[in-house]
Amino acid sequence: MSANRPASLGAAAARPIRQPVQLNWSRLTTIAVVLVAIGIVGTGAGIAVGDPRQVWLTWLVDLLFFVGIAQGGLIVSAGFYLTQGRWAGSTHYRLAESFWRFLPLGLVLFLGIVIGRNYIFPWIAHPVANKVKAQWLSAPFLLTRDFLALAWMTFVSWRFILISNTEEAVIWHHEPDTIEMPPVPVRRIAPLLAISYAIVWTLFAYDLISSLSPQWHSTLFGWWYFATVFWSAICTMSFTASRMRTLLPAGNMFTRGKVLHDLGKMIFAFSVFWMYLTFAQYIVIWYGDIPTETFFIIGRAWHHPWMLLTWLCPVLLWALPFSVLMGVKPKKTPAILGSVALLGMIGVWILHYILIVPSLFPDTLPLGWIELCVTAGFLGAFIFCAIPGLRQLAEVAVSDGLETSHEAPAPH
Amino acid sequence: MSGDIELIGVFSDDAQCAHAIEKLHHASIVEFHTFSPFPSEKMLEAVDEVREWGRSPVRKFVLAGGITGAITALVLTVGTSWEWNLNTGGRPIASITPYIVIIFEMMILFGVLGAVTSFFIKSGLPSFESATGYRTRFGADRFGLVVRTAESDSAKIEAMMREAGAEEVVREAA
Amino acid sequence: MAAAVDQSNYHNLSFLDVDRTAQRVMAPAGLKYWLWVGFCAFLVAVGGSFWTRQIYEGLGVTGYGQPTLWAIYITDFVFWVGIAHSGTLISAVLFLFRTRWRTAVYRCAETMTVFAVLTAGLFPIVHLGRPWFFYWLCPYPNERYLQPDFRSPLTWDFFAISTYLTTSTLFLSMGLIPDIANQRDISIGWRKKFYSVLACGWQGTDRQWRNFSMAYLLLAGFATPLVLSVHSVVSWDFATMQTPGMHSTIFAPYFVAGAIFSGCAMVLTLIIPMRKMLHIEDLVTIWHLDSLAKVILLTSLVITYSYSTEAFLVYYAQDPIEMTTFYQRFFGHQGYLFGGMVLCNCLIPLLLFSPSIRTNTIWLFVISIFVNIGMWLERFVLIAGSLSVATIPSQWKFYVPKVTEVMITIASFGWFLMNFSLFTKFLPIVSMTELKEGVGWLRKSARNTYPYGKAS
Repeated sequence: MSANRPASLGAAAARPIRQPVQLNWSRLTTIAVVLVAIGIVGTGAGIAVGDPRQVWLTWLVDLLFFVGIAQGGLIVSAGFYLTQGRWAGSTHYRLAESFWRFLPLGLVLFLGIVIGRNYIFPWIAHPVANKVKAQWLSAPFLLTRDFLALAWMTFVSWRFILISNTEEAVIWHHEPDTIEMPPVPVRRIAPLLAISYAIVWTLFAYDLISSLSPQWHSTLFGWWYFATVFWSAICTMSFTASRMRTLLPAGNMFTRGKVLHDLGKMIFAFSVFWMYLTFAQYIVIWYGDIPTETFFIIGRAWHHPWMLLTWLCPVLLWALPFSVLMGVKPKKTPAILGSVALLGMIGVWILHYILIVPSLFPDTLPLGWIELCVTAGFLGAFIFCAIPGLRQLAEVAVSDGLETSHEAPAPH
Repeated sequence: MSGDIELIGVFSDDAQCAHAIEKLHHASIVEFHTFSPFPSEKMLEAVDEVREWGRSPVRKFVLAGGITGAITALVLTVGTSWEWNLNTGGRPIASITPYIVIIFEMMILFGVLGAVTSFFIKSGLPSFESATGYRTRFGADRFGLVVRTAESDSAKIEAMMREAGAEEVVREAA
Repeated sequence: MAAAVDQSNYHNLSFLDVDRTAQRVMAPAGLKYWLWVGFCAFLVAVGGSFWTRQIYEGLGVTGYGQPTLWAIYITDFVFWVGIAHSGTLISAVLFLFRTRWRTAVYRCAETMTVFAVLTAGLFPIVHLGRPWFFYWLCPYPNERYLQPDFRSPLTWDFFAISTYLTTSTLFLSMGLIPDIANQRDISIGWRKKFYSVLACGWQGTDRQWRNFSMAYLLLAGFATPLVLSVHSVVSWDFATMQTPGMHSTIFAPYFVAGAIFSGCAMVLTLIIPMRKMLHIEDLVTIWHLDSLAKVILLTSLVITYSYSTEAFLVYYAQDPIEMTTFYQRFFGHQGYLFGGMVLCNCLIPLLLFSPSIRTNTIWLFVISIFVNIGMWLERFVLIAGSLSVATIPSQWKFYVPKVTEVMITIASFGWFLMNFSLFTKFLPIVSMTELKEGVGWLRKSARNTYPYGKAS
C-alpha cells in the first residue's frame, strides 16, 4: 500500500482524483487580521494611556500560553511517535503539529518581555539581598538564557516537523499492524525534543513565573507547569478536531474509528494527572506551613479579589472534564468534547493569569480592556500562524478518511 | 421440553463462531451459550447483538462501591475529628486536605471490592455444576457454540453451523 | 548473544503451543528447584531469628540512634513498595493503553507486586519498638475513645498499603481464574482438586467473559490512580515534614517514577534468568525486554530531572540549612552513597539509549542489577542521610547498620524470592488467556523482522 504514496504532505496532496478540500479560509484569515489589529492598537493605547504593567504582564501571560500550545502540540506528536501511536493514520500527527508555525513568531514576540522587563520583574527595581541569587536573577542573564532556550526549542521543533513530514514517516503512520519502530531520524529527534521541552519549560516556569515572587520556590512547580502546558495543547487539538469533524466533508478521519473518543480520553487522563500534580504540590505546602511557601498560595486562593479566579482553574481543568467526560458518549459527541476542550483552554489561560499577575497586583484585579486587547492580538496572530497547518490537516484528515473507508477501523 | 437436544458446534476460529451466532440470530434462534478460551471481542459483540444486554452491570456496582467508600471515609475522618475536638498544630479540626487521601483510598478499596463481588455474582461463580456442552478444549484452543433445540430443527441448525465454518457438530441429549 | 538475531517466533505460534509452554513451566520440580527454595527459606529463618532477638532485646541491637531514627527498615519498606509498582503499571496502566507487549510479562510483574507488597508491609512492623501494637494504626477508637489521627501520613500509609495489597491481590487472582480453569481441565491428581477449587467453576461462557472483561477493565481503571497514590503517600511520609532534604513538593511524582524505574528493573532481573531456565524465550521475546528497557530509560530520565531540579532549587532558594544538608549529601561523610546512586540511577541507564544494548540480555541483566542497587541507595540517602545531618551540627551522627538490620534486609530478599519461586511452579506465571488473545495479531504483524529493521 505504500508504493504509490506521494512524498511529504500526506497522501492527499498529490492524489489527482479528489478536489482539494474547500473550506472558507479567507474568513478565518480576516478574523485573525482584525484581531491582530485590535491587539496592536490596544497595546499601543495601553502603553500610552493605561498602566504599562498591565500591558507587559498580559504580554507575558499570552506569550507563554500561546507558545505553550504550539510547543505542547509538538510534544504530543513526539509522544505519539515514541509510543507508536498509529490509530488515525497521519491525521493525529498533523493535528498535533498544526500550530507549530507560531513558534518562530513567539521568538520575535519574546522581545516584548525584553522591552517590558522593568514592569514585569520586580527584582530589577528591588534586587534580592542574597548575592548568588541576585546573579541568577539579573535581567541580562535571565533574558539571554531564556531567549536562547526558546530559540533552541524553535530550532529543534523545526527539524522535528521536517522529519515528521518525510515520506518514510508518513508510510510508517499508515502501517498500524506492525511492531516496527518509527524511522531512525524520528527515533533520534523525538526524544531530543521531549527532553529539551521538559528542561526549557521548567526553566521558563522558574524564570518567567516563579521569579516574579522571588522568595517563593517549589520543586514540583516546573514539572507541574509543563504538564499543564501539555494538557492545554491536547485541549486545543480536541477543539480543532471537533470543529473539523463537522466542517470537513463527510467521511473525514474525525468521523472514523475512535479518534474523538481517544482525544477525549487523553483530555480526561491528563486532566486527572494535572489534578494529581496540583494536589501533590498543595498538600506538601499545606502540611509544611512554611511562610516562604504558603504566601504564594494564600494570596491567590484565599484572598479577594483573586480567590474566585483561582478556584475556577481546578473547576475548568479538572472537575468539568472529569465529570463530563467520564462516559463514552460525551467523549464521542463533538459539541460536548469541543466545549469542554474550549473551557479547558480558557482555564489554562486563567491559570497563567493568576500565576503571573497577583505577584505584582496582590490586592487588585486589573482585568480590563488592556488585557482583552493584548490577548486578542495574540489570538489573532496564533490563528494566522495556524492556518497553513490547519489546511494541511484538512487535506490529510479527508484523504486518511477515504483510505480507511474500505478497511475496518484501525485497531489501537 | 422432552425431545430437545443440545447441538455443540466446535470452531477453531472465533470469527467463524461469531458468524454462526449471527446466522442463528437471523433465524431467530436465541437460546444458546458459547465457550471461548479468551474474551473474543467478535464473539462477545455478536452475542451482545442477540441478547441486547448492553454493557455489563458490573460498572454500576463499582460506582456504588466507590461512592460508598468515599462517603464512609468522609464520615469516619470528619466525624471522629468532631467527636474529639483535639487541636493539633493549629490545623482545622476537620482538615479536608489530608482527609482527601483517606477518602481517595477508601473509594478505591470499596470500588474494587464492588467490582470483584459483582463479577462473581453476575457470572454465577462459584459454580458447582458444569454448563451443558463444555469440553476441555474450549478452555484451550477451540470455540464452542451450544444450542438447545427441538430434534426437528436440529438438521437446519447443524447446517448453519457447518456453513459458518464449524469443524464438527456434536449432538447430545438435553 | 548478538543483537537483533533473536527473532519473534510468534508467526507460527498456536494456542496449544501457549498451553504446552505454560504446562512445561509448571511441570513437577527437580532437586535444583527445591534446593533454591530451601536456600531462600533458610535466609528467611535467619532473618526471623534476628528479628526475634530484636523484639526481645529492643531496637538497641540495631544501629538506630538520635538523630537517625528512621534508617534501613524504612529504606527497605520504600524499596519494596517501589518494586511493587511496576507490576501494577505493566498490568493496569499498559492494559488501559492497550500496549501489546504487556501480555507476556504482566503476570510475572503482577505476582511480583503482590509479594513485594507483602514484603514491604512487614517492614513498618519490624521497625516498631513494640511490634505487637501495630494494630494501633487501624481506625478504631482506643480506651479513651480517641481515634487515630487521620492527618498523620502514617495513618495514610496504613490505608494506602492495605488498599494496595487488597487490590493487587484481587487483580492478580481474578486474572488467574481462566488460566487456572485451563489447568484444572488438563491436570490430574491433587493438582486437579487444587485447581478446581481455585477456578471457582469457571468455564469461559459468554456471560462470564462479559462480566470478566468489564470487571477487569474497571479494576485496571482503579489500579492506575491507586498506584500513583500509594507511592505518593509513601513519599509524603517524608515530604510533609519540615526536615531539610525531605521537605520537597516534587517528591510524590518523583517517587512514583522511581518506583516504576526500580520495579521494571526488578522485572528484568527476574525474567531474564527465568526465560532461560524455563525455556520460555518463545513467549517472552527480546521485543518484550526491549520495551521494558525503554520504560526504564524513560523513568531514569525523570528521576535525573528530579535530582537536578532539587539541586537547582537549593541553589535558587539559597537557604543556608538546606544548602548544608545538600552539601553533606553530595560531598559529606557518606557522599560516596550519593555518588553511587547517581552512577546507578542516572548514568548507567543512559546506556539503554543504544538499541544493541537494549536487545542484549546480558547487558540488560547487569544494568537492572545496578538500578536495583541504585534505587535502594537513593532511599537510604534520602532517609538516613537527611536525618543524620540534623539542624544543629553538634547532633550530627551518621548511621552505620549493624548485623541485625543487614540480616533482616537479606532475609526480605529470601522471603520475596521464595514466594515468587513457589508461585511459578504452582500457578501460571505467563497469562495464557491474554497471549492467546494477542496471538492473532502477533501472527499477522510480527514478520521475520525485529523492530529495528531486517534481521540478518
